[in-house]
This record gives sequence, C-alpha cells and structure tokens, in this order.
Amino acid sequence: MLDPKVAFVGMTHLGLNSAVAGAGRGFSMVCFDTDVALIERLNAGIMPVVEPDLDALAAKHRDRLTFTADPAYLRTCDVVYVAPDVATDDQGGSDLSVLDRLLSLAFDCARDDAVIVVLSQVPPGYSRAHQRPGRHLIYQVETLIFGQAVARALNPERTIIGVASPNDPLPAAYKAYLDGHGNPPLLTMRYESAELAKISINCCLVASVSVANTLAELCAKIGADWSEIVPALKLDRRIGPYSYLTPGLGISGGNLERDLATLVRFADERGTHAGVVRAWIDNSRYAKDWALRTLHQVVLDLVKQPCIAVLGLAYKQDTHSTKNSPSLALIGSLGPFDVAVYDPVVPATAAPHPQVRAASSELDCMRGADALVIMTSWGQFKTLAPAAIKAALRGDVVIDPHRVLDPAAVRAAGLRYFTLGTS
Amino acid sequence: MLINQTAVLPERVVILGSRGFVGRATVDLLRDRGIPLLTITSDEIDLSVAGAGDKLAERLLPGDAVLLLSALTPDKGRDIATAQKNLRIGEAVAAALIARPVAHVVYFSSDAVYGFDTTQISESTAVAPTDCYGGMHLMRELMLKSVVKAPLAILRCTAVYGAGDTHNSYGPNRFRRQAYKEGRIPLGGQGEETRDHIYIHDVAHLVLEVLMHKSAGLLNLASGCSITFWDLATKIAEAAGKPVEIAPSPRGAPITYRHFDVTGTMKAFPAFVFTPLDRGLAEARAAELG
Repeated sequence: MLDPKVAFVGMTHLGLNSAVAGAGRGFSMVCFDTDVALIERLNAGIMPVVEPDLDALAAKHRDRLTFTADPAYLRTCDVVYVAPDVATDDQGGSDLSVLDRLLSLAFDCARDDAVIVVLSQVPPGYSRAHQRPGRHLIYQVETLIFGQAVARALNPERTIIGVASPNDPLPAAYKAYLDGHGNPPLLTMRYESAELAKISINCCLVASVSVANTLAELCAKIGADWSEIVPALKLDRRIGPYSYLTPGLGISGGNLERDLATLVRFADERGTHAGVVRAWIDNSRYAKDWALRTLHQVVLDLVKQPCIAVLGLAYKQDTHSTKNSPSLALIGSLGPFDVAVYDPVVPATAAPHPQVRAASSELDCMRGADALVIMTSWGQFKTLAPAAIKAALRGDVVIDPHRVLDPAAVRAAGLRYFTLGTS
Repeated sequence: MLINQTAVLPERVVILGSRGFVGRATVDLLRDRGIPLLTITSDEIDLSVAGAGDKLAERLLPGDAVLLLSALTPDKGRDIATAQKNLRIGEAVAAALIARPVAHVVYFSSDAVYGFDTTQISESTAVAPTDCYGGMHLMRELMLKSVVKAPLAILRCTAVYGAGDTHNSYGPNRFRRQAYKEGRIPLGGQGEETRDHIYIHDVAHLVLEVLMHKSAGLLNLASGCSITFWDLATKIAEAAGKPVEIAPSPRGAPITYRHFDVTGTMKAFPAFVFTPLDRGLAEARAAELG
C-alpha cells in the first residue's frame, strides 16, 4: 500500500503537529477530536498551539487535512494514531483517562483491519494491557520537542516502534506511512521495551543536564567558565557533539518530569535502585531557583522597594507552554516587589503575582527596573542592544541564565552581568 | 517547605524557654511589636518533671500560639541523660497540647537532625542525626507531629551568634570572647570546616514572621553563607583592635562541611533580608564589648 489514509485522534500539541507534518509529507490526513469548538477553530485556520512553521504548513497543505468531530471518518483510514497530550500533575503523575477514552473510541470506530497506533506517552505495560484480540495495536515513541515539533515530525531521526511480537512484519500501510517521512531507521521491539525506550532517552538527557548544572555551579565558584569546557566534552566521542550540556533552570515542560516520576514509581514498586533519579530531581529543584538566589544576592537584599523586569514567561523559547516554567516559579516568589513582565506569546495574566505590570515590549518592561532577568531564550531577546538596556534600567543588574545576550557586550555597557556557568 | 496560612497577629504567644539566648531576643521583639505574651520559665513549671503537662495545659488558651524553645542545649551535654530530660520536656508539652489544643505551634529544632553526608542542606535533605542531641530534636519533632492538629511549624536552626549568648559554643561568640580576654583563638585543626552562622536578630525576626503568618511545615534557619572557622577567626581577630593569635591544633576529627540552601526562606518570606556576617559580628562586638 503506497498511499495509506491516516487519522490522528486528539488535536492537542502532539496530535496536531504530527498530523500537519503527515500532510506536509503528502498523505491525506483525518484530524479528529471530540471537541466540536476546537474542530471549528481548526477549520477556520486557527491553530491552538504555537510552533514554528505549524500555521504555514497547515495552510499550505489544507487540502490534505480533514478536521472533523465525526468519528465515522475513522472508518476510512488504514492507520489511526491516538495522540492526545497526556496531562501531568505537579508530581509528574500522568492522567491517562483521556487517552483511555480516545483509544477505546479508535478501536470501536476504525475498521478491524486498521492499525491503531498509540503515540501518546504511556507507562510501561500500557500497550499490552490495552491490546484487543484480532486487532493491530502498535505503540510508537513520540519524539516531540516543544519549539521543534513540526521539524521533528517531518524528519524523524529514527522511529521506535513497540509491537506485541517483534519478529512479525509491520503492517504494510503503517510501514508505508513511516517510510514516507524520509525513510528514517525503524527500530522495532516489544511493547515494554519501546515504552521504556522513551523514558531511557529522557533519562539520558536529564543526566547530561544535571552534569552541566552541577559543574556550571562549581565553575562559577572557582573562576572557571563552563562554556569553555563544553567544546572539549563535545569532541569526546563518548559524549558527542549533540549532547545536552547546556546548564539550565531545572527540567520543565512536564514530559521529563513525568518520565522521572514514572521511573521512580516503577523502581519503588519493583525494588530496583533509583537513587540517582531522585538526585536528578533534586538537582532540578535546586537549579530552578538559581535566578531567585542570584536576585536576592545582588538586588533584593540590597535595594529598598526594588522593581524587577522579567523577560519571558514560557518554559522555553518558541512555545506557549508554561508547564513548570522557571519564570513563573521565580515571579511567584517575588510577591512583595514590583514586577514587570513581557513575553512574545504568553500573556502577563499567566504570571502568579498580585500586581504584575504587563509590558508592551522588552524595553517597556525594563524601564525603571533595578534588574533585568531574562528567563526564556526567545530569539528576539538576543537583538536587545546593551546600551538600550543600560538606558532603560534604573539599576545595573542583568541576570541572564541562558546567556541570551553577549556577556562581554553587556559588561562593556557598564552593566553587571550574571549567568550560569561562570562568575 | 513552609506554608503561610494568614498574615495576622496571633492572639497571644506562649513562649516556653523565654530565658535562653533565642528566647530573650524573641520576647524583646514580640513585646516591641505589641504582641501579647505569656512567658513560662522553668521556675514556674519544670517541664521535665511528672505532671508538668497538666500544669502547662491549665495555662493555655485555644487562640494561643505556642513557641517551644525549651531545651538543654549541647553545652549542657550531648549525653543520654540530657537527651532523656529534653524528651520529657517534649512529652510534657505534647501532653498539654493534647489536653488543650491551641491555634498554632512553633517548635524550635536544630540542624543537628541532619548528618554530614550531605554538605548542602535544604528542607528536602533527609535527616540523619549523629548524636543524642540531634536524635532528641528529631524525636520531639515527631512527638509534636503526632499530636498537634493545628498548623505546626518546625524550625531547624543552625548555630546562632550575637551578644548575650550564654552557650559559648565553638564559633563566633566564643572566638570573640577569647580574642578579647585571652588574645588567642584556639582552632580545631586548621579550622578548615565550613559552617553557617545566623545572627540572633535574624532568628528572632524569622520566628516573628512564622508566628505572624501562622506558618506550617519545615524551615531551616540559616543565613545561606558558610565560612571556614579559620576565616571566621581571622575576621574576629582583625576586628579586635589588638594582636590576636589564631592557634591551630592537631586535627582529631575528620573535616566536615555544611552549607545551607536558603531558598525556602526566600520563598516563604520574600521581603526578609539576612544580616551579613560582617555586620552581625560588628553589632555583637559593639553590644557586648562597647
């Protein structure tokens, strides 16, 4: 089968971006959701999530996208992906109820010969427990990265597939759809391995970031600069050029937190050692408060009635998501102080502060402030001129954990500059 | 983690242990703020003897906030007998709180509940007391947790310094007195250990914040700035105004380090400002020595 018809059930971040990418790859896509109002907005061209290239790609391939709330359309499809975002709580626990409901709907409404693919993130054991006799159920590891969702869905670096029996060939329609995404390597394995593979990938990422956070803090204490060390590490073949070695403000976004929580829960239940995972979680908690500690040290403990300007509310650039955002965590600890915020996408109402000022631009945000804190690495913040910052601020402190600005240029403008990984 | 419940003054604060170093500073501050107080000293009720719980209960009112500072401190002994006496105090207070529940309880515990395996301490650090004194504080925390239904705040305090300290423990207060009286500050080893020292003024103000917010949960009382005993002795010697010898000694015990992550305090009381060590030392010196 060279031209399978494919459906995505659940038009949240994962399902929508994946479906639009499928259209971009030339497939006819059914985009189903039970939310009629959401389908109406999608049919009007209004995307509910922010991702680079999403709107343009959806508009370009509009003729291949059928947005519908009618489950009868699923019977026309050879492959039905079930891909709602799985909500998480503050402890990283998953709420699988929506996925359960939509998976059941997909089984009931799709043809018996259709391949049902779970793309949402699930804990080990989920797929085998939800298999139905005589039906094709596949678990495919999602590789969505907020801010890169479309690019990664169009060109997956590899596809990890969980099946009931790894020795059986993949269904033709499903394989044709996967191959149609640039022929990525297909890694087929049993359900449980695939489910744990996703967690394994995220654990490796968190481990790398935890190493970076730990050593970056020490760098700042002993006069070293982590940014000078990173290139040496990336040239080590055992570490690699794409390794996650950028220090940050703790893990956020929800997905990594969920995987760590799942791993700890399974290890506790099965009696395996998870001390290092707990250490990563603790490292993340500590890293998240770096900006607050720095702000207290250089401004809040020294300036009476300080005013703080915060640029960025999203948990990272190119996304509207604020899940576990370090910026919101910081602002939530600045209750008694004057705070102004600006984010290109996220409204100021997301800031947990009793009287936050919603600024209209970056410079408006920092005008009259004692300190500028850049909490999200939006690309447009990189273009801020240090001289303009100096002119706008009342104080002279710039806290830029992600090194969005050029440290030398900021210091040359007469500002005191604080970032991760160096003193 | 500390959760603040309200931002109103307590109806009355009952202070157990009001004559100690922390007790006196807290009483002065609460009086200054006009907060009604009931101070109960060991002369009035010896909490370590049988029947003390009943006597204490008679003095309590439902709207009270009880601040438990009473404890025989390490300078009085870290032995089993001292720990047992401290536990009897805890038992009496617990019995009183069962008989006469109050609106808020604040227990002044110690960083001795932590071990030295973890050198950076936060409220999420696992407890691992290494002696009877630390074990006693942990047990008293558990006693109160098991009986107090009202908001309960546990404050684990590191070494406190300032004028008027009666304990004379190894640290700023003893060093200051040794520098002036003897012209010599003896150190264990080269004074390599790092410790956090919190100023008495800051301790009293944090206790006030906890009382005013009817806070519940756990908070470490520390400054967030650790210093080696060598550097601390050097600061005190340089400020003495006369030659002071800093005298290292052969090391008898392994070097240990302790640092505090005080973001818990920053989040609980964002406007609170710690007194820098240099200023605290100067104030203590001025108050004690003129």
